[in-house]
Amino acid sequence: MTAPLSYLLAVLMMLAAVFGALPAVAHEGHDHGAPPPPVSVTIAPRADASSADFELVAIARGAKLRIYVDTFRGNEPVQGADIEVDGPGGTNKATAMPDGAYTLDAPWLARPGRYDLAFTVQTGDAIDILTATLTVPEPPAPPIPTVSLWNALIGSAWAQDIQARFATRDTSLWAVGGGAFVAGLVVAALFRRRSRAAITAILAALVVISATPSDADSPSAAAPLMAERDIAQRFADGAIFVPKTTQRILAIRTLFTEERSFTGTVELPARIIPDPSAAGFVQASVAGRLMPPPGGFPRLGTRVEAGDVLALVQPAIGAADVTSQQQQSRELDQQIAIIERRLERFRQIQSVIARAQIEDAELELRGLRTRRANLERAPREPERLVAPVSGVIATVQAVAGQIAEPNAIIFQIVDPSRFWVEALSFEAHAINGSANGRFGDGRTVTLAYRGSGLADRNQAIPIQFSVEGAARGLRAGQLLTVLASTTDERTGIAVPRTSVLRGPNGQSIVYEHTNAERFLPREVRVEPLDGTRVLIVSGVEAGKRIVTQGAELLNQIR
Amino acid sequence: MTRLILAVLLGLSLAVPAFAHDPRPGPNGGLKVDAGARHHAELVVNGTPQVVVFLYDANDQPVSAQGYRANAILVVAGATQRFALQPGEGNRLTGTAPVSVPAGTRGAVQITAPDGATAQARF
Repeated sequence: MTAPLSYLLAVLMMLAAVFGALPAVAHEGHDHGAPPPPVSVTIAPRADASSADFELVAIARGAKLRIYVDTFRGNEPVQGADIEVDGPGGTNKATAMPDGAYTLDAPWLARPGRYDLAFTVQTGDAIDILTATLTVPEPPAPPIPTVSLWNALIGSAWAQDIQARFATRDTSLWAVGGGAFVAGLVVAALFRRRSRAAITAILAALVVISATPSDADSPSAAAPLMAERDIAQRFADGAIFVPKTTQRILAIRTLFTEERSFTGTVELPARIIPDPSAAGFVQASVAGRLMPPPGGFPRLGTRVEAGDVLALVQPAIGAADVTSQQQQSRELDQQIAIIERRLERFRQIQSVIARAQIEDAELELRGLRTRRANLERAPREPERLVAPVSGVIATVQAVAGQIAEPNAIIFQIVDPSRFWVEALSFEAHAINGSANGRFGDGRTVTLAYRGSGLADRNQAIPIQFSVEGAARGLRAGQLLTVLASTTDERTGIAVPRTSVLRGPNGQSIVYEHTNAERFLPREVRVEPLDGTRVLIVSGVEAGKRIVTQGAELLNQIR
Repeated sequence: MTRLILAVLLGLSLAVPAFAHDPRPGPNGGLKVDAGARHHAELVVNGTPQVVVFLYDANDQPVSAQGYRANAILVVAGATQRFALQPGEGNRLTGTAPVSVPAGTRGAVQITAPDGATAQARF
C-alpha cells in the first residue's frame, strides 16, 4: 500500500464517518426538516419545532412522550395550553404535569422508527400547529462492518443506504466512523514514517477488530438501554446543548432582537453631591468655646428644621481685650462714683440750685450704670448656631468645650431626598437633558441635566445633574458613572447588560438561542447605552433570540 | 500532509447542513413547502371547503398522488379542523374540510407514501 492510497483510505473513511454523522437528510444541496439535534449518547430521543409563537420540544421517555412548550421569543414556559398530538397513535391530548411540562402516553415509542408528529398548541389567544419528526433509534445492533460501507459507496443505492443508516440514528455508526477516520489518519502518518513494525501492528489490530464485531467496537451501543440522562453540554464549536428541563431550572429568558436608533451616550465619571440649595454648613462667626444647647448636640442622622439651635459658642476673650475692658470698667466706676457724690451734694442743697441740674446728674448716673452693666455682660453672651436649612445632620465636628475657629465647619446638613451629581467631562458634549447614573453595585438612578460649567476644573468641565425621584441609599461623595444621552444618533440592538459576557479569549459575547435546546456564542461589539442596557452595534442581526437572563449560568456549562 | 488537511476541510464543509427551503409561492397559487426529505407540497385553499395539496419531488417535478394518503390539520377561525385527503388526478390530493377554509390558512399535512414512509408539511 503506497502513501497516496493510504490518504485515499483516510479520506474515504472520514467521508463515511461524516455522512453517517449527518442526522438530517441532505438532498440537492439542501436538507429538509430541523437542523441537526445535538448528538450525545446520554440524551433521550427528541424532536423540536418552532413557530412564530411557540417553541416545542418532544422527548421520548420510555412509553411516554414528554412535551415542553415555551414562547418562541421570550423562552417563557407556556402553562395551561391545550396540546393535541397527531401521530401514529391517532389524535391524542397531552396532559399537563405539575412541573410545567406536558405528557402523553405513546406506546408506539417502544418500536424504533421515524415518527412524524403534528402538535396543535392552543392557549387563550393563540393557536398553532407545529410539526416535528421524532426518531427512536434501534436497540443495540451489531456494528456495521466497514466492508458494507465500501459496498455502499460503490453501489448505486448508496445515498438511500446512508439515509436508512442514520435514520436509525445508530450511535455505533459514530464509533465506527470516528474510529475508522482516526485509524486511517494513524495509518497514513505511519506509512509516511515507514515504520514497518508499527504498520504491521496497526494492520494486525485492524484485522483483529474487523474480525471480531463485538460490543467493544461500540461501547456506547448499550447506552439506549440504560437510563437516559439529559445533561447540558458544550460542543467543540462552542455551541451549548441545554435540555429544556435545565433551561427551566436556570430560568433562561431571551429577547427577540430589533434594530432601532438610539441617541448617543457618553459615560462620565461622577460623584454625588448634596443639592446646593437643600444643604448647608453650620459655622461659628467668632472664635469661642463650643457648648451644647439644651438637649445636647444633634447626633449624626438627626433630622433638624431650619432655625433649630444646634450649638452655642462661648466667645473667647483675648488678654488685650480683657485689659481694655477692665480699664474701661474702672473708668466707668470712677465716673459713677463722681456723679453719685455730686448728686448727693446737689440733694443736700436742693433749695438753692436749679432742679434741672439734679435731673441731669440723675440721667448721667443712670446712663453710666447701664454702660457698666453692658460691659459686664456683652462678651459673656454665647453665639447661637442655628440650622440654615432643614435636613439631616451629615457630619458633626462638635465636642463640648472645644474651641471653634470662626471658619470651621461644625455641622453639615444634607436633605437626603435631594441630591445632585457632578460629572467631569473632558470633552464638550451636547447633553440633551436625560441621563442615567450607574453605581458600582449595578443600581441606577435617573438624572436630569442642570447645567455645565464653562471654567475647567482639573482640565475637565463639571456637568451637574439632579437626581430624579426617590434617591434612597445615596450619600454625598459616592462615586458613580453617568450615562448621559447626547444629541447624536446611533442604530443597533439594545440588550440588557446581563446578556453580554466576557468570552474565554476576552471578547464580548452574547448567547443566541438558535434551536429549542441549542445556544451559540456570538462575538459582538457593544457600546454603552444607558444604566441597564448596552447597544450591540455589530455581531448580531435583528430577528435573533439573545439570552437576557441566565446567560452567566449558560457560560459556565462545560 | 497538506492533502490530508484539505481532505479534512472538505469533509467538514460537507458536514455543515444547508438550510431548508423557505415557504414559497407554488405554481397553483398556493404556498409550497418542504414535506419530509423527498417531497415538496403545495397547499391550495380558496375560501371553500375544498382543499387541494399538490405533490412534488425534491426537484419540484410533479409526483403522481396515486397510493398516497394524507391527513390535513388546519387552523380555521381559531379552531382545529382534521380531515383526510384522497388521491385525485395527477399530483393532487384532495379533501373537503368541515368548514370553509380561507386563503392563508395555517396548518399541517401528514402524508403517507405508498411505501409507508411518512412526511409532514407545515404551512
